[in-house]
Amino acid sequence: MDIIKRKSELVNEFSPMLEKSTKTSKIWVSFLILVILIGLVAFIIQVVNGHIVTGMRDNVVWGIYIINFIFFVCLSYSGAFISGILHFFKSPWKNSVSRIVEIITVLSLIIGPIFILLCIGRLDRLYFLFLYPRIQSPITWDIIAIMTDLLGCFIYLYLTFIPDFAMLRDNSENAPKWRQKMYKILAIKYYDTPTQREALHKITRTMSVMVIALAIVAYSVLAWIFSLTVQPGWNSSIFAPYFIIAGLYSGVSVIIIAMYLIRKFYHLDHYIRKVHFMGAGVILLIISILFGYFTFSEYFSRWFSHKIEDTKLLDTLFNRYFWYFIFANYIGVLVPVFILFFKKFRTIKSITFAAVIAILGLYVNRYLIVVPTLETPYLPIQDTRPEYIHYTATWIEWALSFAGIAAFILFFILIMRLVPIIPMSGIIDYEREQKRKPHASNNH
Amino acid sequence: MKTKIFQYLFIFTALAFVNPNSFAQETNLKNYKIRFGLSTTKQADNSRILEASYVAANKKDRKDRVPIYDANINFYNVFADEEVLLGTAKTDQEGIAQLIVPANQSYTTNEEGYINFKAVFDGTDGLDYEEAEVAVKDVFLELNLEDIDSVKTVILNAYTLDSLQTKIPLEETEIIFSVGGMLSKMPIKQDNISEGRFEFEFPEHISGDKNGNIDVFASIIDNDEYGNVIQKKNIAWGINKNIITESNQLWSDVAPIWMYVVLSILLIGVWANYAYSIKNLFNIKKEGKELELKSENEN
Repeated sequence: MDIIKRKSELVNEFSPMLEKSTKTSKIWVSFLILVILIGLVAFIIQVVNGHIVTGMRDNVVWGIYIINFIFFVCLSYSGAFISGILHFFKSPWKNSVSRIVEIITVLSLIIGPIFILLCIGRLDRLYFLFLYPRIQSPITWDIIAIMTDLLGCFIYLYLTFIPDFAMLRDNSENAPKWRQKMYKILAIKYYDTPTQREALHKITRTMSVMVIALAIVAYSVLAWIFSLTVQPGWNSSIFAPYFIIAGLYSGVSVIIIAMYLIRKFYHLDHYIRKVHFMGAGVILLIISILFGYFTFSEYFSRWFSHKIEDTKLLDTLFNRYFWYFIFANYIGVLVPVFILFFKKFRTIKSITFAAVIAILGLYVNRYLIVVPTLETPYLPIQDTRPEYIHYTATWIEWALSFAGIAAFILFFILIMRLVPIIPMSGIIDYEREQKRKPHASNNH
Repeated sequence: MKTKIFQYLFIFTALAFVNPNSFAQETNLKNYKIRFGLSTTKQADNSRILEASYVAANKKDRKDRVPIYDANINFYNVFADEEVLLGTAKTDQEGIAQLIVPANQSYTTNEEGYINFKAVFDGTDGLDYEEAEVAVKDVFLELNLEDIDSVKTVILNAYTLDSLQTKIPLEETEIIFSVGGMLSKMPIKQDNISEGRFEFEFPEHISGDKNGNIDVFASIIDNDEYGNVIQKKNIAWGINKNIITESNQLWSDVAPIWMYVVLSILLIGVWANYAYSIKNLFNIKKEGKELELKSENEN
C-alpha cells in the first residue's frame, strides 16, 4: 500500500516536468523547429541540384556529413555501453543518469544514420545495398550492425520505460485523454507484480549485457570502414579501440552537458547531485588520458615509419590544418585533463566546461581523420581546380548538420515531456531495496 | 658540327647533374676528371661482352659523376702493332658502350696466351682522345649438373688452352656459384678452385619456376687474369613446381564460408535474445490481462 502511495507521490513530483511549458521553452522549441526547417530547405536544394551544392568533390567524397554520422553513432554506442554497465552492475548512480544516457543512445542512433544517407549520391539506389549486399564489405557489416543495434537499443530503452509508463498510467487521472491512452498502450498491462517485475528485471539485465556487446561490435565495425582500407591515416590496427575510447570520450562529455542543462532547467539538484558530476569528471579524466595516449600512438607511429603517403598526410595536418590539429589533439585533450586532474578545479561548471571542450575537440579530431586523408590521395591529380582537391563545407552542409543537432535536442525535450528524466521505478526499486537492506548506503 | 654538339651536350649534361649545393663552384671541364675504362665478360654461350665506361667525375665531389653519352667507342683486338677492329658502340645515358662479340670470333693472343682488348674514343673538339686496355686469358668453364647416388651434384671444370690446345687447369681462382632469381642472382657457394675442378652438393629447397627449372651459374668475377667469365646451365632441381596462386577471397563473388558462419552465429545470438525479450513482454502483458479480468470479475 505504501508503495502505491509512494508511486503517486513520485508521479506528482515529476508531473510538472511533463507538463511544464514556459515561454522560454516555447521560444527554444520554436527556434529548434526553425533550424530543422532551414535544414529541410537545404535538403530539398541538395536533392534537386545534387551534391554539387555541397563541398564534396572528386577527391573529398566524404565531408562533414560522415563526420556527423561518426559523431552521433559513436555517441549512441557509448551511451549504450555506459547504460548497459550502469544497469548490469546496478550502479548507485543508475537512477540519476541512466535515462539521460538511454535517450541519448536512441536519439543519436536515429539521427546519425540520416547523415550517411545525405552522403549518398544516388539515394534512389539505396535499396541495392539490401538487394545485393556483399558480405565481405565493412559497409554491409555496418548496415547490419546499425540496424541490429537500433532495434536492440529501442527494446532496451522501452524495457526501462515500462514501469514508469505503468506508474504514469495509474496516476495521471488529470492528464489529457490522449496521454492517458498512450501510457495505457505503452505500459502493456504491467502492474508490478512480483512475477512481472522479475521477468522484466531478467530481460532488462540480459539486454544490458547485449547492448554492451553490441556497442563494442558496432564501434569496431564503424572503425573498420576506415581502417580496412589502405588509405594513409586510416589504415591502422588500433582504430577500433581508438574509436571505442573516442566514442566514450564524447559519450561521457555529452552526458555531463545534458546532466548540467537538465539539472539547471528542471531544478533536479536533489537527484543530479555534485557527487555525480565529480564521478563523471573522474571518468572523463581517465578517458581523456586514454584518448590522448591513443592519439599520440596513432600519429607517432605514422611519423616514425615515415612512409611517403603518411608524411604527405602529416605535412597537410601540420600546415593546412595546423590550428585544427592543435585544437583537436592538444587543447581538446590537455585542457580537460588539466581541469579534471586537480581536485580543487573540479566544480560542476568546470567539469561541464571540460566536457564542452572535449566534445568540440573530438568533433575536430573526426574532421581531421576524414578530410585531410581524402585531400592527400595516392595519385596526385594535376591541372585540376583546387576546389576539387580541397574541401570546405557549404552552408547546405552546415544547415543540415545544425538541423541534426536541433532535431536531437528537440526530440530529447519531447521525450522528457513524455516520461520523467529520472526513472521513478528506479527510485521505487531503490527504496524497496533499502527496506530489505536497511544498512545499505544512501548514495543513490 | 658534330663535335660542337658533343661539347654542348656534355656541358648541358654536366650542368644538369651538378649538385645544387655546389652551384657556386665553377662548373667547367677543369673540375672534372675523365674516367675511361674497359672490362670484358665471357658469357655462357662463349660470346664476349666488351664494355667501355666513359664518365666525368668531379674532382672535389666524388658523388658528382656525369656520364658522357652518345660517344662512339671503337673496340679492338690488339696484337703487337696490329689492331683488329671488333666493332663500334655508342655510350648510353649511363656512359656505357657495350659490344657483344659473337662466339665464333677468333682472337689473336700474345705469347703468354693473353687476349688484348682496347677501347678507343677518338676525341672531339671538346673532349680528348681516350683509350683503355685490358688483357685476359680465355677461360673455359664446363658446368655439369649430375645426380650422383641421388645427390644433386654441381661439378665445374675450369681450364685455359695453350697454343697446342692442351687444357691447363685453373688454380687458386675464386668461383662464385649462384642461382638465377627474379631480380638478381642468389649466391649458393663461393670457393677457390684447385686443379681445375670444383664439386659440391646442390642445396635443397631452392625455388624454381613453375616447372621447377632453375638456372645455375658459375662465375669468375673481376679476375685480374681472366676478367669476368660466366657459365650457366638450366636444370629442374628447384622446388615449388606447383605455384599456388592465392586469390583474395574478399574480392570474390561469394564471401568466405567462415564469414557467413561468424555473421550467422552473431546475428542468431542477438536476434534470438530480442525474440526472447519480446516473448517475455507478451507474457507480462498476458499476466496483466489476467489480472485485469480477475479484478473486473471481483468487482
